Amino acid sequence: MGAMEGLMQGVQVAFSWQGILFVLIGVIAGTLIGMMPGLGPISAIAIMIPITYGMDPSVALVMMAGVYYGAVFGGSTSSILLNAPGISGTVASSFDGYPMAQRGEAGKALAIAAISSFVGGTVSVVLLMLFAPALSQVAVSFGPPQYFALMFLGLTAIASLSDGSTIKALITATIGFMAATIGIDTQTGTTRFTFGNPNLLEGIDFLVIALGLFALAEICFLILKRKDTSLGSQGDIGSLKLSKADFKEMRGPMTRQSFLGFILGVLPGAGATIASFIGYISEKRIAKKPKEFGKGSIKGLAAPETANNAATSGAFVPLLSLGIPGSGTTAVMLGAFLVLGIQPGPLLMADRPDVFWGIIASMYIGNIFLLVLNLPLIPYIAKILKIARPMLISLVAIFSLIGVYAISFSTFDLYLLLIFGVLGYLMRLFSFPAAPFILAFILGGMMEQSLRQSLTASNGDIMALISDPVSISLYIVSILSFVVPLIRNRKNNQHQQEEQNSDAS
Amino acid sequence: MLKTMNQKISVFLILFAAGYLYLSYNLKKYPYVPVDSDLVPKVLGYLLIVLAIFLFFDKSSETEEEKEKRQVPKKEILVLLAVGGMIFFYIFLLEIIGFVLSSFLFIFGCSWFLGYRKLKTAILVAVLFPLIMYLSFNYLLQIRLPQGLLPF
Repeated sequence: MGAMEGLMQGVQVAFSWQGILFVLIGVIAGTLIGMMPGLGPISAIAIMIPITYGMDPSVALVMMAGVYYGAVFGGSTSSILLNAPGISGTVASSFDGYPMAQRGEAGKALAIAAISSFVGGTVSVVLLMLFAPALSQVAVSFGPPQYFALMFLGLTAIASLSDGSTIKALITATIGFMAATIGIDTQTGTTRFTFGNPNLLEGIDFLVIALGLFALAEICFLILKRKDTSLGSQGDIGSLKLSKADFKEMRGPMTRQSFLGFILGVLPGAGATIASFIGYISEKRIAKKPKEFGKGSIKGLAAPETANNAATSGAFVPLLSLGIPGSGTTAVMLGAFLVLGIQPGPLLMADRPDVFWGIIASMYIGNIFLLVLNLPLIPYIAKILKIARPMLISLVAIFSLIGVYAISFSTFDLYLLLIFGVLGYLMRLFSFPAAPFILAFILGGMMEQSLRQSLTASNGDIMALISDPVSISLYIVSILSFVVPLIRNRKNNQHQQEEQNSDAS
Repeated sequence: MLKTMNQKISVFLILFAAGYLYLSYNLKKYPYVPVDSDLVPKVLGYLLIVLAIFLFFDKSSETEEEKEKRQVPKKEILVLLAVGGMIFFYIFLLEIIGFVLSSFLFIFGCSWFLGYRKLKTAILVAVLFPLIMYLSFNYLLQIRLPQGLLPF
């Protein structure tokens, strides 16, 4: 069999009229939502989940994947046009994209973004096709101890790599894990932390947390900034045409960043944000004219745009082949899988080749859609940024509420959503990152299960967790993922201080 | 004592973790397993306390940007609370008067309250959006949203 047969099945799903239609819906919806200031892929995926209820899982997931990379693409549009990145993954795109737009070359900047995204996306899908099955084969032999180590790595990596304080990230991850312990314990049937409330017996639904911490919390900031009129004043975006010289300049960064971005996307915790920043910095370092960076350099825009899209596909490797998300966004994506009754993991490729290969095959189409549709439509799509904030706020609120109601049919969950919205807002206010929370919440249940399975099998001997080379090396990498950034930060700080001192003198 | 924001949050977290631990210690025992359901919660509770202590002594002060983010004028807090209240009211009414009517009230009321003044557009969106959502959920997706007072 194998891969070829499965691939054919996937191609059938992706190229069926339903497949094509829903990829199209997915990328358009993703682009539109991702473009809204503040709403990133996490909110986009969470908002779209209710629409998939009752759909065929393979088609539904093809659509959700489209939403994901569509949202990443949409985020770059608002970065370039408004200098208001919708998500952290496109912050680096604004460094050179916005200066270009200010020079009246917004159209050109958007075209560069679209083409680099397309190249990054397409190259990394090819890599995804090669790597995901290989990793699945390795992972089939994994038992509970290895899985526990793997998830541990995922959590520590996201905590150490998230922007801001590592301690704060670890705290939110711990609280997210605590939230996952609410409900009936699957192994002993003990009810934990439910305070006698029957609504909590099955635990908190992940959608409540995803929409609360991200979408509702973002609404609070939209409310505070509702009088911001910068969105309405967007003028003409200029020509979309690129010259041959432009292409020549984009070629280098696009090739390099497709690969680098993909690798960073595969690594747990890294993802689009880190990939785009590293892409930007590395291109600046090797550029012949690094001074141009930050003033509207073509390379400076092509690099992060290629990298963040490549990382998006890269993030699907651990999700599809191990069933373990490496970032907040893929954690919500995993939630979308589970809502549809699909458990991603090493067995997915054998059990549901239509889903596994369908998603991968659909990414080719999705990336083409993004390019052909968005390029000519950009001027019109950009108009959505002019939707009045008050209206946008009310609509996003209703979307979030209905998304939750449609899975639980209980108003209790809606009140819970409101509470998590407040929590998300407070967390943002005090600079606690929310992504580790959602990742820990989703991994929490799985981690506890594999931990207890390992310990039960060994009769409580904790050494069973570190008895094989795979888990030991995973723990070593986890520890490194902490220590290395700490040392690097310290060095950077020293560096900055020295620079400040020399500036002062 | 408690000079920085980090220290205040840290104390709050320690209290929270203590409460969580108290509940963990009172979980029912299940005699036949080597690892009971209280193990993970206990580990998490202690972990949070340790992390909170680290936060307490975390010297890295907040950046100006972070401080500025917290400066929310009192009037705006009231606006936030009002919108929160409206969402609360919406949830309360949802199963009583139904999805379409309560969404109409919310979209119209909330947009108006936040300063949207185009009456025609506001009404149009507030009528069409819930209707389209309701019909597509009920008939396309087979998910029954609360019908409420309306006959369909």
